[in-house]
Amino acid sequence: MAAATEVSVPDLGDFAEVPVIEIHVAAGDVVSAEDPLVTLESDKATMDIPAPAAGTVGELRVKVGDLVSRGSPLLLLEVGGTDVEPPPLTDQQEPPAPDAADPDAADPVAAAASRSAAAAQAAMPAPAGGPPVTAVEAGAPDGFEGVHAGPGVRRLARELGLDLSVLSGTGPKGRITKEDVIAGVRGPAASPADAVVAAVGGIPEVPAQDFSKFGPVEVRPLSRIQRLSGPVLHRSWLNVPHVTQNDEADITDLDAYRRELDAAAKTDGYRVTLLAFLMKASVSALREFPKFNSSLTPTKDALIYKSYYHLGIAVDTPEGLVVPVIRDVDRKGITELSAELGAVSARARDGKLDLADLQGACFTISSLGGIGGTSFTPIVNAPEVAILGVVRSKMTPVWDGSAFVPRLMLPVSLSYDHRVIDGALAARFARYLCHLLEDVRRLVL
Amino acid sequence: MENQTAEVLVLGGGPGGYTAAFRAADLGQRVVLVDREEALGGVCLNVGCIPSKALLHAAKVIAETKEMSEHGIAFGAPAIDLDQLRAWKQGVVGRLTGGLAGLAKQRKVTTIRGYGRFTSPRQLRVELAEGGTTTVGFEQAIIAAGSEALTLPFMPASDPRVIDSTGALELTEIPRRLLVIGGGIIGLEMATVYHELGANITVVELLDQLIPGTDKDLISPLTKRITRQYENIYVKTKVTGVQAGPEGLTVSFDGPKAPATDTFDRILVAVGRSPNGKLIGAEQAGVAVDDRGFIGVSKQMRTNVEHIFAIGDVVGQPMLAHKAMHEGKVAAEVIAGKNSFFDARAIPSVAYTDPEVAWAGVTENEARAAGVTYGKGVFPWAASGRSLTLGRSEGLTKVLFDEESGRVIGCGITGPNAGELIAEAVLAIEMGADAADIALSIHPHPTLSETVGLAAEAFEGTITDLYLPRR
Repeated sequence: MAAATEVSVPDLGDFAEVPVIEIHVAAGDVVSAEDPLVTLESDKATMDIPAPAAGTVGELRVKVGDLVSRGSPLLLLEVGGTDVEPPPLTDQQEPPAPDAADPDAADPVAAAASRSAAAAQAAMPAPAGGPPVTAVEAGAPDGFEGVHAGPGVRRLARELGLDLSVLSGTGPKGRITKEDVIAGVRGPAASPADAVVAAVGGIPEVPAQDFSKFGPVEVRPLSRIQRLSGPVLHRSWLNVPHVTQNDEADITDLDAYRRELDAAAKTDGYRVTLLAFLMKASVSALREFPKFNSSLTPTKDALIYKSYYHLGIAVDTPEGLVVPVIRDVDRKGITELSAELGAVSARARDGKLDLADLQGACFTISSLGGIGGTSFTPIVNAPEVAILGVVRSKMTPVWDGSAFVPRLMLPVSLSYDHRVIDGALAARFARYLCHLLEDVRRLVL
Repeated sequence: MENQTAEVLVLGGGPGGYTAAFRAADLGQRVVLVDREEALGGVCLNVGCIPSKALLHAAKVIAETKEMSEHGIAFGAPAIDLDQLRAWKQGVVGRLTGGLAGLAKQRKVTTIRGYGRFTSPRQLRVELAEGGTTTVGFEQAIIAAGSEALTLPFMPASDPRVIDSTGALELTEIPRRLLVIGGGIIGLEMATVYHELGANITVVELLDQLIPGTDKDLISPLTKRITRQYENIYVKTKVTGVQAGPEGLTVSFDGPKAPATDTFDRILVAVGRSPNGKLIGAEQAGVAVDDRGFIGVSKQMRTNVEHIFAIGDVVGQPMLAHKAMHEGKVAAEVIAGKNSFFDARAIPSVAYTDPEVAWAGVTENEARAAGVTYGKGVFPWAASGRSLTLGRSEGLTKVLFDEESGRVIGCGITGPNAGELIAEAVLAIEMGADAADIALSIHPHPTLSETVGLAAEAFEGTITDLYLPRR
């Protein structure tokens, strides 16, 4: 008898309840390791779940449209040609309860971390020919000893893969409630905002109207990306007191330099755009004004300063707006950034971004430069605290003290979270950024 | 019978086994359940919890009618028809086991009657009760093989006057003098039944108290009552030999208060139960079994073999049906891909003696041994109106609290219906309730359940039904 391995949704990041949009296999199909089995769509990205090993597809446990989360069973896979006696149970399958002899026991956080590390190891797909992996014992630490939570809450935490020992309860006498578990799974960024909205009883709905009374109408559903990004934008707009600082930079020289680089790059198959320079200038400004590279703590009484420089870049796609993240911009040059931007934008437009491509930004740039306009108010992508918007640059007569000279001027719009940044600081940040753009030599320093 | 295959094989149809089988079936698994007995339900339904409770009910009725004769209602001596009593008991058992067969059928669980032994990690061989053999190939298995009554080596072999709990429940006759070897729960429950049916009871226990391990204050009302009722209770006493003679069974004792020898009409051996781990070919499946016959499992009930689980008596103490049922659900759910754990914080134990003795969570003995700083609230039933209206005053309710957190960590209750009352304490422990949570929850008056609330009030210092000097 072949070993029937249950293939479940692996840990691909912070998401839950995402739909299955495509199933690539049917029962009886023979697959090789890494063949795509199903495709999930989440947070503006699609993800293929690959076969953990070669084998024959057994029963399918999902259908298109089902919502799945980490650990949800997808299908059974009869791993090819195995009839091997499984090895004895090791501690990895189930981490033991910490005891006095356990060096981690003194530090509950470390102990929890080591438990989840062991759990992660246990969750690794088995190599072909190995025993079936159910991955269930990996989901959560055992016992939850000493945790103030009833059995129903403990079960829910296991189902959701949450470690109760690191959660604090809001129930009577610190008891962990079902609501605490659900909030814990949503993550600290999402829950306080939701709680605020809930606490004030929500905002009044716009009354529904029957538009057909006034003329013919047609209902077309929003794209999936719009449906997903809508609540996120709404949350940011409601939570962040926005102010937008407008300024403009003289990029006449910068543009000349960019054209030189671009001409050279074309032969290598990519383009050098203004965006790469905006990114480098933004990182320099973030370094000069570290508050712009921070986030409020969930309790809103402290700032978390980041010492990395990942930038979100808003990209327009046929399905809607997505914001892929370019990592470690401070360590990359203009040509490297230009090449990476080209590749990421292409993947974004094809809907092939991974979840990792969308996480971890410190600051976001939204460029409408290809279209036009004079200024706009970008919405801060909370928990980030600022966003830079740019529109189309324009040749403008500029008074140089004795005459009007034609200069290429770039309008910039910096929206910021007024809880963290005050107006003077924002003005200084914008000026500093423009100053960098005006003299390209400063950028390379 | 044709050879079978199963997604989930369950070996043993007791409370743990049938619960696991039914839960697995409800979660979409194709289940085969193998049991050697004619009726599902295992020891519990067929020769344990259920038939003993039927007989204990009969015993209680007799005891209460006797007591009421002192309060103005006299019935006279009962006329006991053993055949009719046995038939009633068997009727209750039959109704429940029949119900189980129906539940199995509704869930399309295939049941095979026979003795199953593993032949490989993926196959079980069954010697069918109807004759012949069959095999069951399985993807995953749950071992729920249970336990058997321990025997004593020096007992005369195949003497019908020496019985175990199963034999006692058969109720073939009421002996004039019955010796119960083993002062644990099973021995004392059977002693309760046989005493009320007219036998003279002697109980012999090796250790220094009845139901060893249980807090002394909980046992003492029971000991006091049955010391009056029974012929003899010998603790710290060993049975060193048994001589079968035509007049009876002559037993040699070694203990401080016991005579050197005494002669009885029957002997009930109730010295504990031994797990069946060594009787099922576990080694063929690669499942590790310890010297005593227990199978080690993780908190997800998984054995050392990834796809084989074990539950119930065969995985360890306490050997209780309700523990097995919960473990069975965990095993079935893990097999079905759920992330279930057996993480109960309290498993209640009940002796259905008269008075009943029940406890859950940490006992005072355990707390002392572990050096836990605990506080306790005790409510004596002599102050309970409800208890007095039942004609009883010896009971007590004791709740233990963690001094630091104030939460309930254990509870012990002695008195009529203690087994019903202990459930509140189990819920309190699982929910992390403290003394105030229990004391401020309104308990109906006048009930026995009130005593749990009053014990918590005693700990809180808010009680008015007793006068306790300030702590």
